[in-house]
Amino acid sequence: MDHKKDRREFLQLTGKAGLSTIVGSAAGINLGVFDLAHAQPGKKVSPFRFAMITDSHLYSGEDHKFDRQLEDAVEQVNNMEVKPDFVLYGGDIAQNGTEDQLAKGKKILSKLDTKLVLIPGEHDWYVDMGGAWKGMFGQDTWSFDHKGVHFIGMNSILVPDFWTAKQMSPRERMAAMEMLEGPIGGLWGVGEKQLEWLKKDVAKLSPDTPIVTFTHSPLWDYYPRWNFQTVDGPQIREILSKFENFTSIHGHVHQTLYNKVGNMTSIGAMSTSWPWPYPPVKLAYPGSQMNRADPGNEVDGMGTLSVSVKAGGDKLAEYQPFAESLTPFLKKGLKA
Amino acid sequence: MKATFKRTLAIAIPAAITAALASGAAQARDPFDKEALDKQNAQLLELVELGYNLWHGSNPEMSSNGLACGNCHPDAGASNPQTFPKYIQNMNRVVQWGEMVNWCVQNPQAGKALALESKDMTAMYAYAMNLHRGLPIQPGLAAQQTKPIPVKYGKGFPSKPSGIGFDTK
Ligand code: HEC
Ligand SMILES: [Fe+2]
Ligand SMILES: [Fe+2]
Repeated sequence: MDHKKDRREFLQLTGKAGLSTIVGSAAGINLGVFDLAHAQPGKKVSPFRFAMITDSHLYSGEDHKFDRQLEDAVEQVNNMEVKPDFVLYGGDIAQNGTEDQLAKGKKILSKLDTKLVLIPGEHDWYVDMGGAWKGMFGQDTWSFDHKGVHFIGMNSILVPDFWTAKQMSPRERMAAMEMLEGPIGGLWGVGEKQLEWLKKDVAKLSPDTPIVTFTHSPLWDYYPRWNFQTVDGPQIREILSKFENFTSIHGHVHQTLYNKVGNMTSIGAMSTSWPWPYPPVKLAYPGSQMNRADPGNEVDGMGTLSVSVKAGGDKLAEYQPFAESLTPFLKKGLKA
Repeated sequence: MKATFKRTLAIAIPAAITAALASGAAQARDPFDKEALDKQNAQLLELVELGYNLWHGSNPEMSSNGLACGNCHPDAGASNPQTFPKYIQNMNRVVQWGEMVNWCVQNPQAGKALALESKDMTAMYAYAMNLHRGLPIQPGLAAQQTKPIPVKYGKGFPSKPSGIGFDTK
């Protein structure tokens, strides 16, 4: 399998490469293009790096290929040349939202040797409305400051009650939410409560504080039919409009994606389970489309994401694909 | 359907033939009436719906790991039947659409291949074709091969989601 070869080469490379050198494009791994050692420390922000893993969609049962793909992502992040200060998991740990699937994800993710923060995806939530997820991973809304950057995590996959009137069982409700196409639950968002929380959370921050938000879905209207959207994205962007440097990072789309809306830079992460075709939407930045996946390579079109935060708050997001699936444009990383 | 079969007696009168061809009257029988067409379309739509269900996991034989076509090909994206027959790198030859479907059944889904002439395969073809008919045929990005579908949220086809993701274990 190609993938094994990729990984072996990748490990070799990381073993040889010195600190903050270019690991480069060999084996399709795209790490360390940014030279941290030469970054000038800024007034408020000191340089660091964080990583993102998302959308593992674990099934029940033993030895599913998606288990191994998540394990590979964990290993990839653990082997990063410049260690991330923390790892963000972007939602959809489970495929069917069951406790055993979430627990399996927790077990695999516990092998990360850095701090882990998580937000939920729709596949994690709708069996018991987040009960098991919260029990294992804590709050679904949070914020923290790290080296001068303010990080915010929110639950963006909440829909109004569509199940009571239809007398759906918890599993039926989950199955309805598992459907990507023409979602039965309708369009989702963060809801009033989180909007209020967000207003308070950022009220005292000065406009030059760099902001990074994590939500499962993009905060712009990409392709609502597949819930590639967040209904209250516009309100979130309005609340955060005073900030000079605002980056939104999301999962759910299972593909590389980049956009700018107002002061927001938006970056979508690859999944560790499967890639999705691009929906029929004209992208403002078409260069951010990865190559069409090769169905013969089980891990083509998948991978993780890493973001280097430079002095001053600028960010460089780099995809770390499992197999060679990036265009030359994407290999340079995306400035956020 | 009326089983009328008009024999065009195209003998001896060349002028009549010319006239018949010009007016389109040289067909073998009357066009289908509305009732007949409705029946035919209903049969096709029934198959499209079956195809939709199969696409979303209704036949457990087609998958041993819980995956269905719909996981990776929402709205039949990146699976445009109009681009087949075509060369597929994995198989190193030109294949027809059904062979590629079976490749995905046997590999990503670790399931049992469908017979190419089976009703299930025809149904999957009907569903995928239904979403792609009229789209330009090009081997480029999947985006160009996914058709926006004018249905409201929560409608789609009338059937319930059937099993996508439900563990069979
Ligand atoms: C785990 C993910 C996965 C599943 C499940 C899957 N496929 Fe695929 N399939 C792929 C990938 C990846 C490709 C290559 C994508 C591309 O061509 O853009 C592909 C390619 C194809 C193609 C060829 C597309 C082209 O234009 O060359 C067809 C047809 C297809 N799949 C049909 C199906 C059908 C039908 C099913 C269900 C029986 C299915 N696939 C299940 C991942 C999957
Ligand atoms: Fe997902
Ligand atoms: Fe999702």
